[in-house]
Order: sequence, then structure tokens, then C-alpha cells
Amino acid sequence: MQTKNLNLSIKSYFDMSQLLQKYRGSHKENRELALQEERLQKAPVKLLLKWLDKNLYRVTTELNSKKYLEYLSSFNSALGLFSFVFGFLVGVGLLSYSGESPVNIVYYLLIVVFMPLFSMFVSLLSIIFPGKVGNFFTMLFPLHWIEKLVKAIAFRNKMDEFEIPFSSKFTKIFFIERVQLFSLIFSIGILISLVVMVVATDIAFGWSTTLQISVDAFHKFINYIGIWWAKIFPSAIPSLELIDMSHYFRLGAKVDNSMVENADKLGAWWKFLAMSTLFYSIILRFLFWLFTKELLHKQLEKEFLSLDGVSKILKEFNRPFVSTVAPKPERHLDIKKSTKERITPKKKEEYSTLLGWNYSIDEIKLINDATGVVVENMLEVGGSNSFTQDSGIANSLKGKVILYVKSWEPPTMDFIDFLEMVIDNSAVTKIEIYPLGTVGKYYKSNPKDIAVWERKIDTLKSDKVWIIDNE
Amino acid sequence: MSNTIEYPKFAVVGHPNKGKSSIVSALSHDSSVQIGDTPGTTQVKRSFPLKVDNKIVYELFDTPGFQRARQILAWLNEHKPSSADKRVDVVKAFIAEHRENPRFRDEIELLEPIVEGAGIIYVVDASKPYGPEYEIEMEILRWCGQPSMAILNLIGDEDYREEWKRALGQYFRLVRTFNPMRAKFNDHIELLEAMAHLNEEWTKSIKVAIDVLKKLHRQKIEQTIDVVVDYIIKSLSFVYKQKIKNKDATTEEKERAKERYKAQLIKNEKQLEREIESIWQHLGVKKEKEDLALDNIGLFSKQSASIFGLSQKELIVTGASAGAIGGLGIDLALGGGTMFLASLIGGAVGGVGAMMGFDNLYEMRVMGQKFGKKELSIGPMKNINFPYILLGRSLYYAYMISNRSHAKRDTLELKDDGFLLEDIFDAESRKKLEKLHTKLRAGDNPTDSMVEEYKDIVLKNYLAFVEAD
Repeated sequence: MQTKNLNLSIKSYFDMSQLLQKYRGSHKENRELALQEERLQKAPVKLLLKWLDKNLYRVTTELNSKKYLEYLSSFNSALGLFSFVFGFLVGVGLLSYSGESPVNIVYYLLIVVFMPLFSMFVSLLSIIFPGKVGNFFTMLFPLHWIEKLVKAIAFRNKMDEFEIPFSSKFTKIFFIERVQLFSLIFSIGILISLVVMVVATDIAFGWSTTLQISVDAFHKFINYIGIWWAKIFPSAIPSLELIDMSHYFRLGAKVDNSMVENADKLGAWWKFLAMSTLFYSIILRFLFWLFTKELLHKQLEKEFLSLDGVSKILKEFNRPFVSTVAPKPERHLDIKKSTKERITPKKKEEYSTLLGWNYSIDEIKLINDATGVVVENMLEVGGSNSFTQDSGIANSLKGKVILYVKSWEPPTMDFIDFLEMVIDNSAVTKIEIYPLGTVGKYYKSNPKDIAVWERKIDTLKSDKVWIIDNE
Repeated sequence: MSNTIEYPKFAVVGHPNKGKSSIVSALSHDSSVQIGDTPGTTQVKRSFPLKVDNKIVYELFDTPGFQRARQILAWLNEHKPSSADKRVDVVKAFIAEHRENPRFRDEIELLEPIVEGAGIIYVVDASKPYGPEYEIEMEILRWCGQPSMAILNLIGDEDYREEWKRALGQYFRLVRTFNPMRAKFNDHIELLEAMAHLNEEWTKSIKVAIDVLKKLHRQKIEQTIDVVVDYIIKSLSFVYKQKIKNKDATTEEKERAKERYKAQLIKNEKQLEREIESIWQHLGVKKEKEDLALDNIGLFSKQSASIFGLSQKELIVTGASAGAIGGLGIDLALGGGTMFLASLIGGAVGGVGAMMGFDNLYEMRVMGQKFGKKELSIGPMKNINFPYILLGRSLYYAYMISNRSHAKRDTLELKDDGFLLEDIFDAESRKKLEKLHTKLRAGDNPTDSMVEEYKDIVLKNYLAFVEAD
């Protein structure tokens, strides 16, 4: 499956968190992916996103990210629309001209210059100060309370269905980022209302304050505000004359005559107001929004990398996968127990021949001393004999034969071939196999070893062959 | 055909039932190999490559045992070439001629990798006497002309190594003892080092393999310590919460909460055991219940406290120190010579059991919740001894699993065998651990740095312990 987008997002964070609860991959699989995506080896987040993309199909239930993003999207749309309408209405309210007194630009500047600066300053404090101090600043935002209210009403039950995996720090930065976005939309609403009001109505701007501020001082103040665009757009900086002209006092309860005479000139304020809105409320807010977005991304990346299970996967991406085991599974044999009875050796019974499989004559004589078996005709078989020699011996046997074998050496097919030749010899009536232990064990056999012999002899299905019990 | 191959191969061959599969199982860390008393459990050759990122560094072959060695040698002698350098061609001719003959299926399976260039590892059971019948097999292998070594495997309790060495020395360049049932990691490495000397061309690859295996071993220890520490932190900081109907919890609610709290801790330990088994590729290992039962009873038993926890004296010293200096930490070394892991034989230490009564382990609280609801909370574990019990038990389990040969198919015997926690942690480390335990008991959220510090302490001490072991 091809990844369309290898950028970390809230969706990928949610999906990763959900997938990791179910599946973390094996070292082999994870390492193979890392080797396939060699170009991403120095970008762990992108490699993890690739891993997520490859394995997300394993989550068969509905993705939590889908639910969360649906709610988030509804929430954002509602608050976005609200912010815009509210901004527009605030703008209309500020710019409404009753005909009795001009629109006081001081109010307007308070909303489009000082409020944004204050709000961004508080946001910055909230980011800088961790814990409760930071949270205190967050509580200064009306959005904080609106969000709480909306959450409690609309999302409470639905969001409780799954655990939101974000930390409180992420939630705080996320909130601050949203504040910037909604403030930006609010400001756009104000700007649009300004443009609409300027075009559609005849607004007389003025300035008025209780404070004793001279025209010169106000001019300086206005110039400070407009310093950012003074050179590129000088017509958006009110002249001293205009400032003087638009100064009014409410005591007269009427618009000053000189103001009425220069009504067409008073409207020139709008450029300054538009630029103030554009610069302080929109451009600065936009830049601050980008900054918080970046902070949010960094925090998301940090939390993504610290999700439970991610460090294991990252280690497996980087560690060579070493395999030592057999790639193909083994087909295990079903080992059945023998049911055939064992017999006891006959000390001086008339065995026609004693055979020693892989024993020398000297060894056979020593064994006889221990077992008490007495047989005159003793022969070496197996060992250094050739197969032809053994074949001759097998064909020459008759009557009852006793066969010494090393119990610890399991019967090989070489032995079975010889035994089958003896069985096929009709002159032989009985073959008694005597599994012997080592000298150190006084020729006593281990029961496990005898069981091995029994199982093998069972496969011959011959009534002639018996195992002597030597446990 | 040239015997030059891109990586070394080794065929483990020998008489039936001499432990070839056990050796391969131990060397390849593969517990899936069928190992039994019955000869012929290996019917076809099986490849066990050591692969690093799918690149083979060396390859081992487990092979069936010789079945009709005399008949093969007779055939080879009948087709004896004029010079020794042509002998391998005769072996190849034998394989070609008898490939479809079921009588020689086992021999073909074992000879094939050798004539294709694999080194020979001939396995004998040196706990049983030498017999001349082996010379036939060794003679056949000599015909193959490949570098070879013999391994003396001691399956039984007798020792005939000297007579075997005298015989094998005439056929093999190297003779080494290797007991797959008891082999530890260092034995494995020593054997590989010996194999590296068989052929100059293989030395580099085997050295790479040794390096890889050493790194892998170290990684497995690190992974083990990671899961052990995560488990300890998870269990120590675990808090069970349960909503209750009334203002105060009923006896029934309290009992149920206790059981669930215990059940979760037991589940954590079981999960840890599985993780350790998985790291060391020992899945499905059987355990004796009547031995040191690492189960629900064991975790809270007096016996467990006496074996894995602090001794009574240390508990008192630690408790007093904790009361006096609080978060500043406790120098457990003050206990002086007391054991973290007293011997199992020593039995229960009087009094510790009383201190370890389950009801004294944790804190139970009823807390207010939203909309006037109440919640019963149990944990985190307050008992000062508990982290040491968890640590002792988990490191002991890790030690037993990591040192268990993959050739073993018997039940894991969890008995204390001189494994003392004080041998692992020095006084300074115990002091550092106690500081961290104090924070966890206080309900502090374990920070990344705390976890890393804990892991470092445990890893450093455990590595020093296993290296000295």
C-alpha cells in the first residue's frame, strides 16, 4: 500500500495509539520494513508513519480518530462560524454611526490592536509557564469556557467511549493553537465588516478620550501603531491635520461644525483602521498561529514517539534481525511404546550360537562371566566384519541364537539388515537379543535404552525375535 | 565441483542418538527441534542458518545418523580411485547412484551437504565407551576431504573421553567437549571459535557470527531488563479503582477490590514471564508447580518474601530509615551482610511473613467522584519489601530462562541455587533503587528519567553478575 502522506497528524497519532494496543509487529517484520525504506532511516517519525500505513488494516473496529476528528471538525466549524459572525457583528457595532457623534476610533483600536496583543501575550505566558500557572492564563480566554460548555453538552458521552491519549501539555497547546485560529477568523470578520461599512455607509471617524492627550501626542501614538506600513503605504497613516480635525468632545452632544464641514476628509481614517486590523489582528495573529501550530506539531511528535510500544518498534527498526532457527518447521515423529513382553536369559540353556554385535570374542568372554551364559560357539558380527562375512554367518546359523548388543547404541539399519537375514534363515528357531550396559554399570542396561531396542524390534513383526530383560 | 562457498556451512553428523539434534538445537537457539531417545527422529537434513537481516553468516545442518555405514564404505572401497584427491568424487558418485534408493536415504542426507562444501562436526557420546565400529563412519567422512572436528557429548554419567580422544585424534583436526544440555552462552562462543579454526577461509565469517551473537546476547539482556523494570514500575504504581454504591465500601466490595488488585499483579507477572520466554526464544517452557511457584500463590507468600524480599532485620532497618529520612533514601547496606535472597533451604524467615500480610501491603481509600459518586481505590503497593520481591523473582526467572539450553525439553526447575539478590546489587545500587521505590510508593508518576535510571542500575548490576557467573 502506498503512503499518500507521511506527515504526522492528530489522525496518525490516534491511529498509532489504537494500533499499538492491538499489534506491535515482530522484530523481523519491523526490521524488514526499515530496510525496505532505507531512505527514511534517519526520519523515525516518517518510518513509523510508514509502519502505521502498512499495518493499520489490522484495526478492524472503527477508528477512534474518525470519531474524534468528526467531533473536532463539527466543533471547529461551529466555533469558526461563530467567531466569524461574532467578529462581523462586533465590527458592525463598533462602526455604527448614529449621526449624533462620530465613530470613536479609540474603541476600534482597542479591539483590533490592543486586544490581539494582549491575547497573544497571555497565550505566550500560558505556553512558557508549565502546570497550574500556565493553566491560569488559559482560563483567561473566553474560549476556554465556551469549549467546556460545548464539550459538556455535545460531546461528553460520545468522547467518553474511548480514551483520548493526549497529555495535558498537548491539550493546552492544542487549545492555544485553536484560540489563535478562532481569533484570526474573528478578526477577518471585523475586517470584512469594516470594508462593508465603509463601502455601504458614510462613516465619520473621530477620536475622543477623557484623558488629556494633545493632538501631537495622539499623532505620535498613531504613528507608532502605523510604523510597520508607514513607508510602503503612507496614505494609511493619518496626518496631523486629520487627527486635529477628528478630535471631538461629547460635551456638545453634537458633531462639531468643523467636523461637518470636513466630513469627506474624516472618512480617510478607514485606511489606517483597515491596515491596523490587517497587521495586528490578522498578520500578527496569523504568524502567531503558525508558531503555535509548529509548537503543537513538535509536541505531537514528542508524544507520538513516546507512545507505549513505539520505542520497541524504533529499536527493532535499528537493530539487525538475527535469526538462528530453522526456517522450515520439522515434522515430528509419533513415537509409540512397545507392548511386547521381555524374556529372561537362560543361563546354560542350549543356545546353538552366541553372537556379539560389535563385540570382540575377548569382550564376549568377559560378558559371559558376568551374565553366566555358556555357549561354545561364539562369533563376532558387525564391527570390523564385512557385510559379506556377516551375511555368511547369518545363513549358517541354526536353532536358538543369543545376540549380545550394546544397549546404548540404538539398532541401526545395518543391524536390522543382519537380523532380517537371521530371521529369514529357517534353520534358526529363536533369536534372543541381550542388550548389555557398559562395564561401568556391570552390563546392566538403562530402561530407556532397552525401550529403544524394543520399539525397533517391534517393527520387524517377527515371532522369532525376543528381547532379554536386563534392567 | 569447487568446494568454495560464500559462507561456511557445517554438517553435524554421527551415529544415531548421540545428541546431534541437541547440539544443533543449543547452537541455533531453536527449541522446536525434536529431540528424543528414539533414533531416527531426524529423517532429513535440516538447515539452521545464522542470518543477519536475511544475509546468511553461517549455516548448520542437522542430519540423520549413519545407518548402513559398512555397506557404503564397502561400495566406496570397490570404487577406490587411484589417488586420495579423487575420493570425494567417489562419494559424490555414490550419492548420485543411490539418490533414489531408500536404503541409503539417511546417508545421502548427511553426506550431501559435506560434498557440497560443509565442514564436518562429528558427534559422539563420550559417556559411553569407544567402539571400533565408529571407525567405519570416520573413514567415510575422511573420504569427503572436508575440514572436520569432533564433539564429545556427555549424555550419561560415565566419562570415556580419554579413550575417545585417542581414537578421534587420528581422524579429526580438533576434538572438543560440548554438553548441549548444560552449555551456556560462553560455551557456545568457544565452540564457534574452535569451528573458525577449521578452515582459514571461514575464520572471518565465524568471527562475524561470534560478534553478532555477542551483540544479540547483550541485546536480549537489555530487552529483559527493560521488560523487568517496566513490569516492576507498572506493578508498584498500579492503583485499582472501583465505583461504590454508598458512602463507605462494604466488606464485600473491599474483598472484591482486593482480589482484583491481586489478580492484576499476578497477571502482570505472568505477562512478564511470557515476555522473557519470548525474548530468549523459550516459548512454551514447562514449569514445575511444586518447585518455586512463580504464580498467584508465590507472589504473595511468606516463602516468597523470605526468599526474594529483604530479611526481617533489613526490613526493620529499612523501615526505620525510611521513617527517619523519608525521601532522602535508605542505605540498605546498613543491614550488613543480610541477604536479599536467602536460600530456599533456609526456609521462611520468622516474622517477615507477618509483615508481609497482604492487608498490610497497600493503601485502601474511598474517594469522592463527580456527581457525588464514591470510588474505592486500592494501591499503590506501600510495603517496603514488595519491590525487592518483584525484582528478585523476575531477575531469577530471567536468569533461569536465559541460561536454559534450547536442547532441554524437561521441566524448568525453579529452585534457588545460590542465586542471591545481594550478589547482584551492591550497597550503592540498592540505595539508589530504594530512592526510586520511595517515589513510586508515594504515587509519583514515573518519569522517563526515573525509568531510565532504574533500568541503568538493574542492567549494570545484572550484567556484572552474569559476566562473573
